Amino acid sequence: MNATFQAKRESHARIALGFTGVLVLAACASTPPAPTANLQAAQQAIAAAERSEAARYAPGELSEAHTKLALADTAVTQSKMVVAEHFADESRAEAELASAKASAAKASAVNDEMQRSNGTLIDEMKRGSGDKQ
Amino acid sequence: MNTTRHGAVIVRGTLIATAVAAVLLAACATAPVKPDGASEARMKLTQLQSDPNLASRAAPAIKDADLAVRAAEQPEADKELAAYRVYLADRKVDTARALAETRFAEDQRAVITAQRDSARLDARTREADAAKGQVATARAEGAEQKMAADRARTEADAAHVAAASSEQQAAELQRQIDVLQAKPTDRGLVLTLGDVLFTSGRADLKPGATGNLNKLVAFLNQYPDRTVVIQGYTDSVGSEGYNQALSERRADSVKSYLAEQGIGSIRLSASGKGPSDPVAGNDSAAGRQQNRRVEVIISNPPAALR
Repeated sequence: MNATFQAKRESHARIALGFTGVLVLAACASTPPAPTANLQAAQQAIAAAERSEAARYAPGELSEAHTKLALADTAVTQSKMVVAEHFADESRAEAELASAKASAAKASAVNDEMQRSNGTLIDEMKRGSGDKQ
Repeated sequence: MNTTRHGAVIVRGTLIATAVAAVLLAACATAPVKPDGASEARMKLTQLQSDPNLASRAAPAIKDADLAVRAAEQPEADKELAAYRVYLADRKVDTARALAETRFAEDQRAVITAQRDSARLDARTREADAAKGQVATARAEGAEQKMAADRARTEADAAHVAAASSEQQAAELQRQIDVLQAKPTDRGLVLTLGDVLFTSGRADLKPGATGNLNKLVAFLNQYPDRTVVIQGYTDSVGSEGYNQALSERRADSVKSYLAEQGIGSIRLSASGKGPSDPVAGNDSAAGRQQNRRVEVIISNPPAALR
Protein backbone atom coordinates (compact mmCIF):
# COMPACT_ATOMS: atom_id res chain seq x y z
CA MET A 1 0.00 0.00 0.00
CA ASN A 2 2.66 2.41 1.07
CA ALA A 3 4.87 1.16 -1.71
CA THR A 4 2.11 1.76 -4.20
CA PHE A 5 1.69 5.33 -2.98
CA GLN A 6 5.43 5.83 -3.21
CA ALA A 7 5.43 4.60 -6.78
CA LYS A 8 2.57 6.86 -7.72
CA ARG A 9 4.36 9.83 -6.28
CA GLU A 10 7.52 9.06 -8.23
CA SER A 11 5.47 8.76 -11.36
CA HIS A 12 4.00 12.21 -10.80
CA ALA A 13 7.44 13.61 -10.19
CA ARG A 14 8.68 12.11 -13.51
CA ILE A 15 5.77 13.57 -15.40
CA ALA A 16 6.44 16.94 -13.84
CA LEU A 17 10.09 16.68 -14.84
CA GLY A 18 9.13 15.77 -18.37
CA PHE A 19 6.76 18.69 -18.58
CA THR A 20 9.47 21.02 -17.34
CA GLY A 21 11.76 19.66 -20.04
CA VAL A 22 9.19 20.44 -22.69
CA LEU A 23 8.88 23.96 -21.34
CA VAL A 24 12.65 24.38 -21.42
CA LEU A 25 12.79 23.14 -25.02
CA ALA A 26 9.97 25.48 -25.95
CA ALA A 27 11.92 28.33 -24.42
CA CYS A 28 14.94 27.36 -26.55
CA ALA A 29 12.77 27.29 -29.71
CA SER A 30 11.61 30.84 -29.09
CA THR A 31 15.06 32.07 -30.21
CA PRO A 32 14.35 31.28 -33.92
CA PRO A 33 16.55 28.70 -35.71
CA ALA A 34 18.84 29.69 -38.52
CA PRO A 35 16.97 29.75 -41.90
CA THR A 36 19.01 26.81 -43.11
CA ALA A 37 16.64 25.81 -45.92
CA ASN A 38 16.51 29.37 -47.29
CA LEU A 39 20.29 29.67 -47.15
CA GLN A 40 20.74 26.36 -48.94
CA ALA A 41 18.22 27.35 -51.58
CA ALA A 42 20.14 30.58 -52.13
CA GLN A 43 23.44 28.71 -52.45
CA GLN A 44 21.96 26.28 -54.95
CA ALA A 45 20.46 29.10 -56.97
CA ILE A 46 23.85 30.85 -57.08
CA ALA A 47 25.57 27.60 -58.15
CA ALA A 48 22.98 27.14 -60.91
CA ALA A 49 23.50 30.72 -62.07
CA GLU A 50 27.25 30.17 -62.22
CA ARG A 51 26.73 27.01 -64.27
CA SER A 52 24.65 28.97 -66.75
CA GLU A 53 27.47 31.46 -67.27
CA ALA A 54 25.76 34.26 -65.32
CA ALA A 55 29.24 35.64 -64.58
CA ARG A 56 29.44 36.47 -68.30
CA TYR A 57 25.84 37.31 -69.15
CA ALA A 58 24.47 38.79 -65.85
CA PRO A 59 27.47 39.75 -63.73
CA GLY A 60 25.58 42.48 -61.79
CA GLU A 61 22.83 40.15 -60.65
CA LEU A 62 25.25 37.35 -59.74
CA SER A 63 27.37 39.70 -57.70
CA GLU A 64 24.28 41.03 -55.93
CA ALA A 65 23.21 37.46 -55.09
CA HIS A 66 26.61 36.79 -53.54
CA THR A 67 26.40 39.99 -51.51
CA LYS A 68 22.92 39.14 -50.22
CA LEU A 69 24.04 35.64 -49.22
CA ALA A 70 26.99 37.09 -47.30
CA LEU A 71 24.62 39.50 -45.54
CA ALA A 72 22.40 36.54 -44.63
CA ASP A 73 25.36 34.66 -43.15
CA THR A 74 26.36 37.70 -41.15
CA ALA A 75 22.80 38.07 -39.83
CA VAL A 76 22.86 34.42 -38.74
CA THR A 77 26.02 35.01 -36.72
CA GLN A 78 24.23 37.94 -35.09
CA SER A 79 21.22 35.68 -34.45
CA LYS A 80 19.05 38.00 -36.56
CA MET A 81 17.31 35.03 -38.08
CA VAL A 82 14.40 36.90 -39.69
CA VAL A 83 16.81 39.32 -41.33
CA ALA A 84 18.96 36.35 -42.38
CA GLU A 85 15.94 34.64 -43.91
CA HIS A 86 15.03 37.74 -45.90
CA PHE A 87 18.57 38.18 -47.20
CA ALA A 88 18.70 34.50 -48.13
CA ASP A 89 15.41 34.79 -50.06
CA GLU A 90 16.62 37.95 -51.78
CA SER A 91 19.89 36.24 -52.68
CA ARG A 92 17.98 33.34 -54.19
CA ALA A 93 15.64 35.61 -56.15
CA GLU A 94 18.64 37.56 -57.44
CA ALA A 95 20.49 34.37 -58.42
CA GLU A 96 17.41 33.03 -60.22
CA LEU A 97 17.15 36.32 -62.08
CA ALA A 98 20.83 36.01 -63.03
CA SER A 99 20.19 32.51 -64.41
CA ALA A 100 17.15 33.65 -66.37
CA LYS A 101 18.98 36.64 -67.83
CA ALA A 102 21.92 34.44 -68.83
CA SER A 103 19.54 32.02 -70.55
CA ALA A 104 17.81 34.83 -72.39
CA ALA A 105 21.13 36.34 -73.50
CA LYS A 106 22.41 32.97 -74.73
CA ALA A 107 19.18 32.18 -76.57
CA SER A 108 19.26 35.57 -78.22
CA ALA A 109 22.93 35.10 -79.20
CA VAL A 110 22.11 31.74 -80.79
CA ASN A 111 19.27 33.34 -82.76
CA ASP A 112 21.48 36.21 -83.87
CA GLU A 113 24.07 33.73 -85.09
CA MET A 114 21.42 31.73 -86.95
CA GLN A 115 20.07 34.86 -88.57
CA ARG A 116 23.56 36.01 -89.53
CA SER A 117 24.32 32.69 -91.19
CA ASN A 118 20.93 32.85 -92.92
CA GLY A 119 21.88 36.27 -94.21
CA THR A 120 25.22 34.90 -95.40
CA LEU A 121 23.49 32.04 -97.17
CA ILE A 122 21.07 34.39 -98.86
CA ASP A 123 23.94 36.72 -99.84
CA GLU A 124 25.90 33.81 -101.26
CA MET A 125 22.85 32.69 -103.15
CA LYS A 126 22.39 36.14 -104.64
CA ARG A 127 26.08 36.34 -105.53
CA GLY A 128 25.97 32.85 -106.99
CA SER A 129 23.00 33.67 -109.19
CA GLY A 130 24.61 37.02 -110.03
CA ASP A 131 27.73 35.25 -111.31
CA LYS A 132 25.69 33.03 -113.52
CA GLN A 133 23.79 35.87 -115.08
CA MET B 1 -19.66 92.29 -24.66
CA ASN B 2 -20.34 89.06 -22.89
CA THR B 3 -22.46 87.76 -25.69
CA THR B 4 -19.71 88.65 -28.13
CA ARG B 5 -17.15 86.64 -26.19
CA HIS B 6 -19.59 83.75 -25.99
CA GLY B 7 -19.99 83.86 -29.78
CA ALA B 8 -16.22 83.83 -30.26
CA VAL B 9 -15.93 80.79 -28.07
CA ILE B 10 -18.53 79.02 -30.20
CA VAL B 11 -16.69 79.90 -33.41
CA ARG B 12 -13.39 78.71 -31.93
CA GLY B 13 -15.02 75.48 -30.81
CA THR B 14 -16.38 74.87 -34.31
CA LEU B 15 -12.95 75.51 -35.85
CA ILE B 16 -11.32 73.01 -33.50
CA ALA B 17 -13.96 70.42 -34.27
CA THR B 18 -13.42 70.92 -38.00
CA ALA B 19 -9.64 70.61 -37.62
CA VAL B 20 -10.01 67.40 -35.67
CA ALA B 21 -12.33 65.98 -38.30
CA ALA B 22 -9.83 66.92 -41.01
CA VAL B 23 -7.02 65.19 -39.13
CA LEU B 24 -9.20 62.09 -38.69
CA LEU B 25 -10.04 62.09 -42.41
CA ALA B 26 -6.38 62.46 -43.31
CA ALA B 27 -5.56 59.55 -41.06
CA CYS B 28 -8.24 57.48 -42.81
CA ALA B 29 -6.84 58.40 -46.24
CA THR B 30 -3.20 57.59 -45.44
CA ALA B 31 -3.86 54.35 -43.59
CA PRO B 32 -3.92 51.72 -46.48
CA VAL B 33 -0.91 52.92 -48.46
CA LYS B 34 1.09 50.62 -50.75
CA PRO B 35 4.77 50.12 -49.90
CA ASP B 36 7.30 52.04 -52.00
CA GLY B 37 8.21 50.29 -55.22
CA ALA B 38 5.18 47.98 -55.27
CA SER B 39 3.43 49.93 -58.00
CA GLU B 40 6.59 49.92 -60.14
CA ALA B 41 6.72 46.14 -59.86
CA ARG B 42 3.02 45.98 -60.77
CA MET B 43 3.63 48.19 -63.79
CA LYS B 44 6.44 45.97 -65.05
CA LEU B 45 4.28 42.89 -64.52
CA THR B 46 1.38 44.46 -66.43
CA GLN B 47 3.69 45.29 -69.32
CA LEU B 48 4.90 41.70 -69.38
CA GLN B 49 1.36 40.34 -69.24
CA SER B 50 0.19 42.55 -72.09
CA ASP B 51 3.09 41.60 -74.39
CA PRO B 52 1.57 39.15 -76.90
CA ASN B 53 4.95 37.57 -77.59
CA LEU B 54 5.74 36.95 -73.92
CA ALA B 55 2.48 36.69 -71.92
CA SER B 56 1.71 33.10 -72.92
CA ARG B 57 5.31 31.98 -72.44
CA ALA B 58 6.70 31.21 -68.94
CA ALA B 59 3.16 31.23 -67.51
CA PRO B 60 4.16 29.63 -64.15
CA ALA B 61 6.90 32.23 -63.58
CA ILE B 62 4.46 35.01 -64.41
CA LYS B 63 1.92 33.59 -61.97
CA ASP B 64 4.63 33.37 -59.32
CA ALA B 65 5.57 36.99 -60.00
CA ASP B 66 1.91 38.02 -59.76
CA LEU B 67 1.64 36.45 -56.32
CA ALA B 68 4.81 38.22 -55.22
CA VAL B 69 3.55 41.55 -56.52
CA ARG B 70 0.24 41.10 -54.64
CA ALA B 71 2.15 40.35 -51.46
CA ALA B 72 4.28 43.45 -52.04
CA GLU B 73 1.17 45.59 -52.55
CA GLN B 74 -0.19 44.74 -49.07
CA PRO B 75 0.13 47.72 -46.74
CA GLU B 76 2.79 46.87 -44.20
CA ALA B 77 3.82 48.87 -41.14
CA ASP B 78 7.12 46.96 -40.95
CA LYS B 79 9.22 48.92 -43.47
CA GLU B 80 11.86 46.21 -43.73
CA LEU B 81 9.30 43.51 -44.40
CA ALA B 82 7.63 45.71 -47.00
CA ALA B 83 10.96 46.40 -48.73
CA TYR B 84 11.76 42.67 -48.69
CA ARG B 85 8.47 41.83 -50.38
CA VAL B 86 8.91 44.56 -53.00
CA TYR B 87 12.44 43.32 -53.66
CA LEU B 88 11.26 39.77 -54.24
CA ALA B 89 8.34 40.93 -56.41
CA ASP B 90 10.64 43.07 -58.55
CA ARG B 91 13.15 40.26 -59.12
CA LYS B 92 10.46 37.71 -59.84
CA VAL B 93 8.85 39.93 -62.47
CA ASP B 94 12.26 40.44 -64.11
CA THR B 95 12.94 36.71 -63.92
CA ALA B 96 9.58 35.89 -65.49
CA ARG B 97 10.30 38.33 -68.32
CA ALA B 98 13.76 36.84 -68.95
CA LEU B 99 12.33 33.30 -68.99
CA ALA B 100 9.57 34.34 -71.39
CA GLU B 101 12.12 36.02 -73.63
CA THR B 102 14.22 32.85 -73.59
CA ARG B 103 11.24 30.76 -74.61
CA PHE B 104 10.28 33.26 -77.28
CA ALA B 105 13.81 33.18 -78.71
CA GLU B 106 13.73 29.38 -78.72
CA ASP B 107 10.38 29.40 -80.50
CA GLN B 108 11.74 31.88 -83.05
CA ARG B 109 14.38 29.36 -84.07
CA ALA B 110 11.77 27.31 -85.88
CA VAL B 111 10.95 30.38 -87.95
CA ILE B 112 14.64 31.11 -88.61
CA THR B 113 15.27 27.48 -89.52
CA ALA B 114 12.29 27.54 -91.84
CA GLN B 115 13.70 30.68 -93.47
CA ARG B 116 17.06 28.97 -93.82
CA ASP B 117 15.46 25.87 -95.31
CA SER B 118 13.53 27.94 -97.78
CA ALA B 119 16.69 29.89 -98.65
CA ARG B 120 18.55 26.60 -99.15
CA LEU B 121 15.70 25.27 -101.24
CA ASP B 122 15.81 28.41 -103.35
CA ALA B 123 19.57 28.01 -103.74
CA ARG B 124 19.19 24.39 -104.80
CA THR B 125 16.37 25.26 -107.15
CA ARG B 126 18.56 27.94 -108.68
CA GLU B 127 21.47 25.54 -108.96
CA ALA B 128 19.20 23.00 -110.61
CA ASP B 129 17.86 25.66 -112.95
CA ALA B 130 21.40 26.79 -113.71
CA ALA B 131 22.44 23.20 -114.40
CA LYS B 132 19.38 22.78 -116.57
CA GLY B 133 20.34 26.00 -118.30
CA GLN B 134 23.86 24.70 -118.86
CA VAL B 135 22.49 21.49 -120.30
CA ALA B 136 20.24 23.55 -122.53
CA THR B 137 23.21 25.71 -123.51
CA ALA B 138 25.31 22.64 -124.24
CA ARG B 139 22.44 21.23 -126.24
CA ALA B 140 22.11 24.53 -128.05
CA GLU B 141 25.84 24.52 -128.70
CA GLY B 142 25.56 21.00 -130.01
CA ALA B 143 22.71 22.12 -132.21
CA GLU B 144 24.80 25.06 -133.33
CA GLN B 145 27.70 22.79 -134.19
CA LYS B 146 25.34 20.56 -136.09
CA MET B 147 24.01 23.60 -137.88
CA ALA B 148 27.56 24.67 -138.70
CA ALA B 149 28.27 21.20 -140.02
CA ASP B 150 25.04 21.31 -142.00
CA ARG B 151 26.00 24.72 -143.29
CA ALA B 152 29.44 23.45 -144.30
CA ARG B 153 27.80 20.53 -146.01
CA THR B 154 25.36 22.84 -147.74
CA GLU B 155 28.25 25.03 -148.84
CA ALA B 156 30.10 21.99 -150.10
CA ASP B 157 26.95 20.96 -151.92
CA ALA B 158 26.64 24.47 -153.28
CA ALA B 159 30.25 24.28 -154.42
CA HIS B 160 29.43 21.03 -156.12
CA VAL B 161 26.39 22.62 -157.65
CA ALA B 162 28.47 25.62 -158.63
CA ALA B 163 31.12 23.37 -160.10
CA ALA B 164 28.40 21.44 -161.83
CA SER B 165 26.76 24.63 -162.95
CA SER B 166 30.07 26.06 -164.17
CA GLU B 167 30.47 22.88 -166.16
CA GLN B 168 26.89 23.36 -167.30
CA GLN B 169 27.68 26.95 -168.14
CA ALA B 170 30.72 25.92 -170.08
CA ALA B 171 28.62 23.38 -171.90
CA GLU B 172 25.95 26.02 -172.47
CA LEU B 173 28.56 28.45 -173.78
CA GLN B 174 29.83 25.83 -176.12
CA ARG B 175 26.27 25.19 -177.24
CA GLN B 176 25.74 28.92 -177.81
CA ILE B 177 29.01 29.10 -179.69
CA ASP B 178 27.90 26.21 -181.79
CA VAL B 179 24.59 27.95 -182.42
CA LEU B 180 26.50 31.07 -183.50
CA GLN B 181 28.79 28.95 -185.58
CA ALA B 182 31.64 30.98 -184.07
CA LYS B 183 35.21 29.79 -184.19
CA PRO B 184 37.36 29.97 -181.12
CA THR B 185 40.63 31.74 -181.98
CA ASP B 186 43.41 33.50 -180.06
CA ARG B 187 41.58 36.81 -180.54
CA GLY B 188 38.36 35.36 -179.16
CA LEU B 189 35.33 33.80 -180.70
CA VAL B 190 35.09 34.84 -184.28
CA LEU B 191 31.66 34.91 -185.85
CA THR B 192 31.63 35.44 -189.57
CA LEU B 193 28.52 37.00 -191.02
CA GLY B 194 28.30 36.39 -194.72
CA ASP B 195 27.24 38.92 -197.35
CA VAL B 196 23.68 37.59 -197.21
CA LEU B 197 23.12 40.43 -194.73
CA PHE B 198 23.64 43.13 -197.29
CA THR B 199 22.44 43.97 -200.77
CA SER B 200 25.37 44.25 -203.09
CA GLY B 201 27.01 47.68 -202.88
CA ARG B 202 24.88 48.74 -199.95
CA ALA B 203 25.54 48.95 -196.22
CA ASP B 204 22.05 48.65 -194.73
CA LEU B 205 21.01 45.28 -193.38
CA LYS B 206 18.54 43.26 -195.36
CA PRO B 207 15.24 43.03 -193.54
CA GLY B 208 14.60 39.47 -192.33
CA ALA B 209 18.30 38.62 -192.55
CA THR B 210 18.97 39.37 -188.89
CA GLY B 211 18.47 35.84 -187.53
CA ASN B 212 22.16 35.22 -187.00
CA LEU B 213 22.59 38.68 -185.44
CA ASN B 214 19.76 38.00 -183.01
CA LYS B 215 21.56 34.86 -181.84
CA LEU B 216 24.56 37.14 -181.24
CA VAL B 217 22.39 39.56 -179.24
CA ALA B 218 21.11 36.68 -177.10
CA PHE B 219 24.65 35.49 -176.55
CA LEU B 220 25.89 38.95 -175.56
CA ASN B 221 22.95 39.36 -173.17
CA GLN B 222 23.85 36.09 -171.51
CA TYR B 223 27.55 36.97 -171.22
CA PRO B 224 27.53 40.64 -170.35
CA ASP B 225 31.27 40.81 -169.55
CA ARG B 226 32.22 40.17 -173.17
CA THR B 227 32.96 42.93 -175.59
CA VAL B 228 32.69 42.81 -179.33
CA VAL B 229 34.92 44.01 -182.13
CA ILE B 230 33.12 44.28 -185.51
CA GLN B 231 35.24 44.31 -188.62
CA GLY B 232 33.97 44.79 -192.16
CA TYR B 233 35.67 43.22 -195.18
CA THR B 234 35.10 43.47 -198.96
CA ASP B 235 36.31 41.72 -202.08
CA SER B 236 38.80 43.38 -204.33
CA VAL B 237 36.27 44.53 -206.91
CA GLY B 238 36.18 48.31 -207.14
CA SER B 239 38.44 51.02 -205.85
CA GLU B 240 40.30 50.59 -202.61
CA GLY B 241 38.77 53.72 -201.12
CA TYR B 242 35.24 52.68 -202.02
CA ASN B 243 35.72 49.21 -200.53
CA GLN B 244 37.30 50.66 -197.39
CA ALA B 245 34.38 53.01 -196.87
CA LEU B 246 31.86 50.28 -197.65
CA SER B 247 33.47 47.89 -195.15
CA GLU B 248 33.36 50.61 -192.46
CA ARG B 249 29.70 51.41 -193.11
CA ARG B 250 28.75 47.72 -193.02
CA ALA B 251 30.60 47.22 -189.74
CA ASP B 252 28.85 50.33 -188.40
CA SER B 253 25.47 48.95 -189.51
CA VAL B 254 26.04 45.79 -187.51
CA LYS B 255 27.19 47.85 -184.52
CA SER B 256 24.08 50.07 -184.78
CA TYR B 257 21.82 47.06 -184.96
CA LEU B 258 23.40 45.49 -181.90
CA ALA B 259 23.11 48.79 -180.02
CA GLU B 260 19.46 49.04 -181.04
CA GLN B 261 18.95 45.57 -179.58
CA GLY B 262 20.15 46.81 -176.19
CA ILE B 263 23.84 45.94 -176.23
CA GLY B 264 25.77 48.78 -174.59
CA SER B 265 27.76 50.65 -177.24
CA ILE B 266 30.68 50.72 -174.84
CA ARG B 267 31.02 47.00 -175.48
CA LEU B 268 31.01 47.52 -179.22
CA SER B 269 33.65 48.77 -181.57
CA ALA B 270 33.50 48.75 -185.36
CA SER B 271 36.09 49.21 -188.07
CA GLY B 272 36.49 48.63 -191.82
CA LYS B 273 39.28 46.55 -193.29
CA GLY B 274 38.38 46.87 -196.96
CA PRO B 275 39.65 44.09 -199.24
CA SER B 276 42.58 43.28 -196.97
CA ASP B 277 42.90 39.94 -195.33
CA PRO B 278 40.79 37.90 -197.76
CA VAL B 279 39.72 34.48 -196.59
CA ALA B 280 39.48 33.16 -200.17
CA GLY B 281 40.69 34.02 -203.65
CA ASN B 282 39.09 37.00 -205.38
CA ASP B 283 39.41 35.35 -208.75
CA SER B 284 36.21 33.32 -208.42
CA ALA B 285 32.70 34.41 -207.57
CA ALA B 286 32.58 31.95 -204.67
CA GLY B 287 35.90 33.25 -203.35
CA ARG B 288 34.78 36.88 -203.63
CA GLN B 289 31.52 36.03 -201.87
CA GLN B 290 33.50 34.58 -198.95
CA ASN B 291 35.66 37.67 -198.81
CA ARG B 292 32.60 39.99 -198.56
CA ARG B 293 31.94 39.50 -194.91
CA VAL B 294 31.63 41.03 -191.46
CA GLU B 295 33.57 39.35 -188.72
CA VAL B 296 32.37 39.74 -185.18
CA ILE B 297 35.11 38.98 -182.68
CA ILE B 298 33.76 38.23 -179.24
CA SER B 299 36.47 38.86 -176.65
CA ASN B 300 37.33 36.15 -174.16
CA PRO B 301 36.21 37.02 -170.63
CA PRO B 302 38.86 38.53 -168.25
CA ALA B 303 39.86 34.98 -167.10
CA ALA B 304 36.61 33.46 -166.06
CA LEU B 305 35.30 30.87 -168.42
CA ARG B 306 38.48 29.12 -169.47
